[in-house]
Amino acid sequence: MDKDFKPNIVGFLCNWCSYAGADLAGSNKLEIKPFLSVVKVMCSSRVNSNLVLTSFLWGADGVLIAGCHPGDCHYEKGNYYARRRFALLKKIMESLNLEPQRLQLSWVSASEGKRYAEVVNKFAEDITKIGPSPFRKNQNL
Amino acid sequence: MKKQNVLIIGAGVAGMEASQLLTEAGHKVYLVEKESLIGGQTIKFEEVYPNMECSTCMVSPKQQEILQNENIELLLLSEVKEVNGTAGEFKVKVKKKASYVSLANCIGCGACYEPCPVSLDNNFEEGLSKMKAIAVPCAGALPNVPAIDAENCLHLNGKKKECQACKEACMFDAIDFSEKDETLDLEVSAIIVATGFDMLDLKKLSQYGYNQKDNVYTALEFERLYAENGPTEGKLILRDGETPKTIGIIHCAGREEQGYCSAVCCMYSTKFSHFLKHKVPEAKIKEFHSDLCIPGKSHQKFYQEALKKEIEFIRCRNIQDISVEKKNGSLQVNYQNGNIEKNTFKANMIIVAPAMLPGKDTKNLAETLGLSLDEKGFFATKSNELSPIATDVEGIFVAGCAEGPKDIPDSIAQAEAAVGKVVNLSQGKINE
Amino acid sequence: MSKKIGVYICECGTNISDRIDIDSLIEEISSLEDVGVAKKYGLLCSPAGKKYLAEDIKKEELTHLVIGACSPREHEQTFMKVCLEAGLNPYLFQMVNIREQCAWMISDKEAATRLAIKYIRAGIKRVALHKSLEKIELESNPDVLVIGGGIAGIEASLSLAGPERKIYLVEKTDALGGMTNKFAQLLPHQGANLSIVKDKIEQVNNNEHIEVFTSTAVEDIHGFLGNFEISVTNQEKDSEKKEFKAGAVVVAIGFGLYDPKETPAFGYGDVENVINALEFETMISSGKIVLKNGKPPASVALIHCVGRKEKGYCSKTCCLYSIKFARYLKDKLPNVDVSEFYQDLCLPDKSDQNYFEEAKKKGIHFIQSDEIEIKDINDRIKVKYKSAEGKKEELSVDMAILAPAMVPSQDTPKMAEMLNLPLDETGFFKEAHEMLNPVATPIEGVFVVGCALGPKNIPDSIVQSQAAAGKILSTLIPGKKLEPEVKTAEIREEFCTGCQTCLSVCFYGVISFDEHKGISIVNEAICRGCGSCVGSCPSGAIKIKHFTYPQLYREVLEALR
Repeated sequence: MDKDFKPNIVGFLCNWCSYAGADLAGSNKLEIKPFLSVVKVMCSSRVNSNLVLTSFLWGADGVLIAGCHPGDCHYEKGNYYARRRFALLKKIMESLNLEPQRLQLSWVSASEGKRYAEVVNKFAEDITKIGPSPFRKNQNL
Repeated sequence: MKKQNVLIIGAGVAGMEASQLLTEAGHKVYLVEKESLIGGQTIKFEEVYPNMECSTCMVSPKQQEILQNENIELLLLSEVKEVNGTAGEFKVKVKKKASYVSLANCIGCGACYEPCPVSLDNNFEEGLSKMKAIAVPCAGALPNVPAIDAENCLHLNGKKKECQACKEACMFDAIDFSEKDETLDLEVSAIIVATGFDMLDLKKLSQYGYNQKDNVYTALEFERLYAENGPTEGKLILRDGETPKTIGIIHCAGREEQGYCSAVCCMYSTKFSHFLKHKVPEAKIKEFHSDLCIPGKSHQKFYQEALKKEIEFIRCRNIQDISVEKKNGSLQVNYQNGNIEKNTFKANMIIVAPAMLPGKDTKNLAETLGLSLDEKGFFATKSNELSPIATDVEGIFVAGCAEGPKDIPDSIAQAEAAVGKVVNLSQGKINE
Repeated sequence: MSKKIGVYICECGTNISDRIDIDSLIEEISSLEDVGVAKKYGLLCSPAGKKYLAEDIKKEELTHLVIGACSPREHEQTFMKVCLEAGLNPYLFQMVNIREQCAWMISDKEAATRLAIKYIRAGIKRVALHKSLEKIELESNPDVLVIGGGIAGIEASLSLAGPERKIYLVEKTDALGGMTNKFAQLLPHQGANLSIVKDKIEQVNNNEHIEVFTSTAVEDIHGFLGNFEISVTNQEKDSEKKEFKAGAVVVAIGFGLYDPKETPAFGYGDVENVINALEFETMISSGKIVLKNGKPPASVALIHCVGRKEKGYCSKTCCLYSIKFARYLKDKLPNVDVSEFYQDLCLPDKSDQNYFEEAKKKGIHFIQSDEIEIKDINDRIKVKYKSAEGKKEELSVDMAILAPAMVPSQDTPKMAEMLNLPLDETGFFKEAHEMLNPVATPIEGVFVVGCALGPKNIPDSIVQSQAAAGKILSTLIPGKKLEPEVKTAEIREEFCTGCQTCLSVCFYGVISFDEHKGISIVNEAICRGCGSCVGSCPSGAIKIKHFTYPQLYREVLEALR
């Protein structure tokens, strides 16, 4: 494992629960590894396959999609759609020769600052273990 | 339509709903709240039944809307002291206690908490944690601005005049010790009372062995114990440092004494079981209840799901006969089931669901407003109407648990109904 | 026109500046394309900060604005207002969270600074793709269609009608009053009283702003909040058709009752003198409480929870009206022996318990029981049951009154289809949000109240009607235009393949299918902007304004830089 490997992770957070949970983690000054960049969306259902696959093709080492817990969606059912898409994306990743563990879907509520920190840190750790994405070489940004 | 002023007392879910809706109708709202934060009791819950929805996620957008709404003048730490006049032209005196922290300047960074030398029981957390004399009571409180507890602040109570620890730590010049309590004179055309409820003090019911030392918890204490933003950050650590393994949940504490069913306890007790089973799958949980009151289309399913999780529901012969005692260092529930056999259950945690009571200030407020109370001590509503919203005083309406125990959606519906009555009144229309 | 982006970094006192090297951040980003100004400021949300910002926007003639500061949940609104004041479209602004989600969660200053640079770069690249969005205004019709002339519909109509708001009250039967017409008495302890219902019907009939259509069915409803088009037909007058417009719809179509024959154990239809609650109401109205043989009963069993197991929910009202029956029986026939067979007494309102205690004092027996079976044995009714102690017991009575579960009205599925409303698993209408928005539905401008939503008593139904009225009165104001959400979905016709996947995921019924063009159409007036449709569109034909693919793509690219 490359000791200097600093993973690049994209985190799609829904506006109502997970983004608020991330804010709470910050307000409580919880330490979070600086490998994840947040992209805010109104609902986890907005994150289409295109966005996730683009992230990977441009060399993301990991992608996290975080939304409200099942039953909590601000738009009632959006997170269920996200969950279904997640299952599909896992399959697509296999065909791209990407470890499916590089994609994670988590539920983080607005009160779960601590959970947000745990989810992100654990994911960063897992990705560090898996190592750099084979698509990193595509990067020519 | 002419823009009118409306006074709303209480910034819980009912008060917030009414405020927001009235401003949409084009009115200005004075929202009076006795605490230093808004959201009422609902923000104390981690999850709400029957969908185990995260309460903070649900309510915080509402709270934000209230804070950002220019037509809502939020009066925190405030109480209504005097009301004169009649519908359309009430004259109201509101006493607003000094918070000593400027809502405009404070950015909520929290730099002032740490240096404060005073440590107090945190009442918002049901005394399960300590807080400083300047602090917000829980993470995520809104507005995210602390207030100084004047009684206990060493500078303000004169015990150590020179203490300025918080002021020195503040980078935004938000702390002003010279702030004084003020009395505001408001003119409003209508009033909505949404002062919510309190819980029966379990210390008054000696049979439950509640002493704040053993692992006997009130429902509200347990709500905070399992809240992610609570005193243990959601970790289930009991007063003796153990985790819950055998849990007894006792319904209807004080029901007989009060003479009414509190409508929500069966459901939230079942919620506790769901939660505990989720966190501690091997936990053994028994619910001690009398009649299960689970009305409504989605509630029975919630109960049946609990049964599937092997949570044991024990119908007790007489709920008043249940007692909790400490035997050889461990807790024990004594009860009689349907077979009239005397039984015991050893538990390392007991949760008791106490009756919902009228808010502590109800009596005084009723006198101030000229309202009458019903025989249970809740605000009484007009007897010749089919709905419990309008009071005997024209222009004054009641919503939520101030009128009697009820759940969140029923409280919200009452708030919306009260808004309808206020809007109609403002247009000179009074039906019924 | 060339772009000039202004970037302002808030020090937030020292909250941000202590943990992020703002100077090197500014140095890093000031040379990016289109960045005209890059500055830091002590506290942008302060009155002085806002003034400074507004003046700078004007002075520098900025076309776009990026602010790196706290979470947008704190001050996005604040700065959008500043933009408006300074004459900049507030959607040409991007707020970048470098406090909560950067400075405050990363203690290593270098790492935090690196992440902050990424975020600000992403903000700059993103804002360059922002489009001005303008609030649109829609005319709206303040009139309201109320469907169902029961107590809930009557109350909604009375609460809403006024000189500037006409109410169309449509009732399928030939009279107003709904189920209450079948009741002999209401629950007095809850303040309910039939004379109040009569008064209200009178008020409806005398109200010049309410047009009542009896014996009338709603045939079709089209449109959206503020603009519904409705057609109804009179079932009697040769199917006379009428059309009108309304801005909102209140559905108050009530409930039905479980047919006890579906559970043969209750003996309904087989065993003589086993009747249901409505039949007993009729008996009370007639004043004659008699058995089939014309004699008064000496003993009566009241059976609660008929159909509760089958339906899977408690109907809330049965315990109380069964107690009402028992009290009536005791008053009418003092020597009658009355036994209530209940599972769980549901007495949730504050005055219910007293009503029950009084009944107990009258000598009514309350028997907690389960597994009820009613048999005809030698011309007497035998109620077999399992007692609280778990023993099999039985009681012989002359009459048994069943309290059947409340079930959705038979019109519910049709109405749901017409209005595109979802039903829940019990078959009643589903709320927009079960907790926070109990009388609204996912379709804006359509409300459901009373027992159409689920079993409830009269006061609760009335409160719901008044709640719907409260929502309509404060949002659908005569003469006031509606301002819908601006960050809505938009369909690019050339890409839409007409697969209609989006129709199935939209919870709010915003999307319809244009058969002629073969594509989906978004009604932007009622779209909430969640983006579920965008996520599901296989051809990428839908975009959400302000969260477009290119905008998010730029953020992703910067994240990976």
